[in-house]
Amino acid sequence: MTPLRELGNAVAVQLFKRVPWIGEQWARRHRFVEATSAPWAPVVKPVKESSVALITTAGVHLASDPAFDMDDAEGDPSFREFPSDVDPRRLTITHRYYDHRAADQDINVVLPFERLRELVDEGRVGAVAPRAFSFMGHIDGRHLATLIERTAPMVAERLRADRAEAVFVTPA
Amino acid sequence: MGLIQRAVEKVGIPTIGVTLQKEITRRVKPPRALYLRYPFGHPMGEAFAVRQQRAVLLAGLEALETITEPGTIIEPGWAWRRHRFD
Repeated sequence: MTPLRELGNAVAVQLFKRVPWIGEQWARRHRFVEATSAPWAPVVKPVKESSVALITTAGVHLASDPAFDMDDAEGDPSFREFPSDVDPRRLTITHRYYDHRAADQDINVVLPFERLRELVDEGRVGAVAPRAFSFMGHIDGRHLATLIERTAPMVAERLRADRAEAVFVTPA
Repeated sequence: MGLIQRAVEKVGIPTIGVTLQKEITRRVKPPRALYLRYPFGHPMGEAFAVRQQRAVLLAGLEALETITEPGTIIEPGWAWRRHRFD
């Protein structure tokens, strides 16, 4: 990004964060892959007996993994994975389109690893699934097909391989 | 995010998604959603706010068990920085 675009982006990020109305206006005009029906996997087991997995679209990844591509205006449809018991100090966030200062200090702001583990210790959740998955959320244009046809189904298959029984998803 | 939820539900795993944008959620129709009027970048609340983050997670997991109608959006209505989590 050029310094001028960088500045413009930084201003937009703060406006979107502080003035919800702007986000609503943007949402009204932006085209989404809209749906008339929602897919439905019934809950067959209480959460306290289920293995729960986390997914986020907040651009979290292991610092040792390649960062998400922020130079492509249509985003990056790839995903990253890491063990659910990862040391948070090994994680980082690559995402220029939201203010992640709070999440940089405490990863639980976007990915509630520690809170989930506490609920497991208290017996309110069965288990934490072995892997967590992360996308960068801002995906548009030609990358939407990749997300829908390739990367989202890949994550779904891995969750199934991990025997995850419920998934908690967080945005940026 | 809704697209990811859809893919996961398709293989038979139920999902609940936190959303900070009700308009998008209404249109994308994820199977189950928890809407919070929180600023972008704070889906679970504030940094180190353990009780708040825990309440958001518990509300989501509870919604997972109680929502029976696909496309339902649950709204706890917690005001940002004003609601007290005990």
